[in-house]
Amino acid sequence: MDNILKPKSSSSFQIKWIMLIILGGVLPFIFLGDPYVLILLCTTEISIIAVSGLDILFGYCGQISLGHAGFYCIGAYTSAILSRNLGMPVFITIPIAGFFAMIIGILLALPAAKLVHHFLALVTISFGEIIYLFVSQARGLTEGYTGMNFIPRPKIGGIIFTSNTSYYYVIYGILVILLALKQNLVASGTGRAFVAIREDAHAANGMGINITKYKTMAFAISAFYTGIAGALYAHLIGFISPETFTSNQSTLFLTMLLFGGMGNFWGPIIGSAILVIITEFLQKLGSYQMLIYGAILLLVIIYIPGGISKGLNLQLFFKKSKRGKIAC
Amino acid sequence: MFTQVLVGAIAIGSIYGLVALGYSLIYTASGLMSFVQGELLMLGSFMGLTFYKYLKIPFYFALPLTMGCLFLIGVIIERYIIRRLQKAKTNLIFIVVATIALSIILKNFAMLAWGSNVFQFPPIFSVSLLKLGKVRIQPESIMAIVIALLVMIILHLFMTKTRLGTSMRAAAQDPIAAKTMSINVNRTTALTWGIASMLTGVGGILIGPIYGVSAEMGTLIGTKGFAGAVIGGYGNMYGAIVGSLLLGIIETFMAAYVSSMYKDFVSFFTLIIFLIFIPRGLFKGKVYGD
Repeated sequence: MDNILKPKSSSSFQIKWIMLIILGGVLPFIFLGDPYVLILLCTTEISIIAVSGLDILFGYCGQISLGHAGFYCIGAYTSAILSRNLGMPVFITIPIAGFFAMIIGILLALPAAKLVHHFLALVTISFGEIIYLFVSQARGLTEGYTGMNFIPRPKIGGIIFTSNTSYYYVIYGILVILLALKQNLVASGTGRAFVAIREDAHAANGMGINITKYKTMAFAISAFYTGIAGALYAHLIGFISPETFTSNQSTLFLTMLLFGGMGNFWGPIIGSAILVIITEFLQKLGSYQMLIYGAILLLVIIYIPGGISKGLNLQLFFKKSKRGKIAC
Repeated sequence: MFTQVLVGAIAIGSIYGLVALGYSLIYTASGLMSFVQGELLMLGSFMGLTFYKYLKIPFYFALPLTMGCLFLIGVIIERYIIRRLQKAKTNLIFIVVATIALSIILKNFAMLAWGSNVFQFPPIFSVSLLKLGKVRIQPESIMAIVIALLVMIILHLFMTKTRLGTSMRAAAQDPIAAKTMSINVNRTTALTWGIASMLTGVGGILIGPIYGVSAEMGTLIGTKGFAGAVIGGYGNMYGAIVGSLLLGIIETFMAAYVSSMYKDFVSFFTLIIFLIFIPRGLFKGKVYGD
């Protein structure tokens, strides 16, 4: 952990983490442990993890995915089946779910790493559809459209994290670790290779970057994050059904990312937080929901192409660092 | 049985062909894929239904009316969204995402306007089945084939024989050179989007009587049209037609002789196989590059 969190010669790095840790740690107390608000907070955290995964793939490596609900779904079902049906401890099944999603991500990358733009978009859409069809049809394994009930909450020794507040801190710990890993990855040689591929694949190839390898890596890591998010979601709600994992969910992740801003630290966080709140208000509107997401997505692309985080120019608050330049 | 299935296959294949032509035209003119095509097909279907069933406009008049409306929609999309994004030097993938957003908006708008039920398209002809000896054929299928064929021939003549069509092809091939030849590239691009949208609308109004009309129909048929375009070679007009006919035939015969459960699966499977192994398609389209 020391190594991961070690500040790399920039003050903004520390401020960023201090802000995040204080903000995340204090939030439940502000709302006095209101269970409804806590569920929302947990959902936000889970969305941040999933959207960060998408950010690595799309924001840094420039490879679009419209099938991330597929990885989310794989993570949720893997962890749910292993913990409920086989009685494995949840703290083991969550990483397993992540790694399983990762393997599927590598398999998806086999065709996907060769394709660009709309062809890639279409293959990832098909991927999401295939996973959705699979979980709704394979009744023996997933109980089909009925969905899986009674998915347990995690426990260590005698402590069971049944209350939303305690589970909030479980997710929070995982979130901080994953965000730290993401920042580390992005600043590493691998992250720079991702950005090089995003900016110009030919030039990157000329610099000796193995494009297929790095694209596959981006898919794998992205799938891992989203798989973990899916697993956490399954244990939060305790019930999953294929309805949660339609292509609408993929669109929602993409909207969150584009709304918040791609390829930087705050983008996925801001985007997820705002859209979870908007979603909550839109529940009342029912069928207007997707219409409004579509409108938000279109307006963001036309009017604030860099997303909110770039629109507000958060970099001004945290003295521009080298990292910032690479990221943006 | 065989003739019957074959007619059905060619009918559905030629409708996919109209959609695929739309994709190819847009690709050559703007260099991107528009995810709106499927929803435009759905809109065409609903407009045809509204004009024909509820407003009681005769079919031969409802068809051009629908085509006109969709032409306008296509031009508006190009003029106010796509061109605007291209001028702002937006990354190509964001323009593709914008078309996805637009397709979500249109689909949900249709759900609100017409509900999410499947509507029956009233029969267009007084005879419900044509009998030729032992073979029974839906007259709507024959109509679909004839109209699709007519539209394709007109499009071919327009693109190769007229001044405007030639300038459209020139602008698609090399915009800068076309500009120096005093071709208004903005106008030809808008026109191309309009025509692509119109073709898709024709597909929509033709598929209505065969499959019924619903707000959800666009996504699936749009993807199949795309698959047809990829099989034929993306960006190639004639390839798009051949690829779609092939897809229609594979799909319909699969449904008739093996199982209708795997009909859609076969289309997706064919698409993925082509994307992995023969991405340039039968007629050498463009897939790679950035």
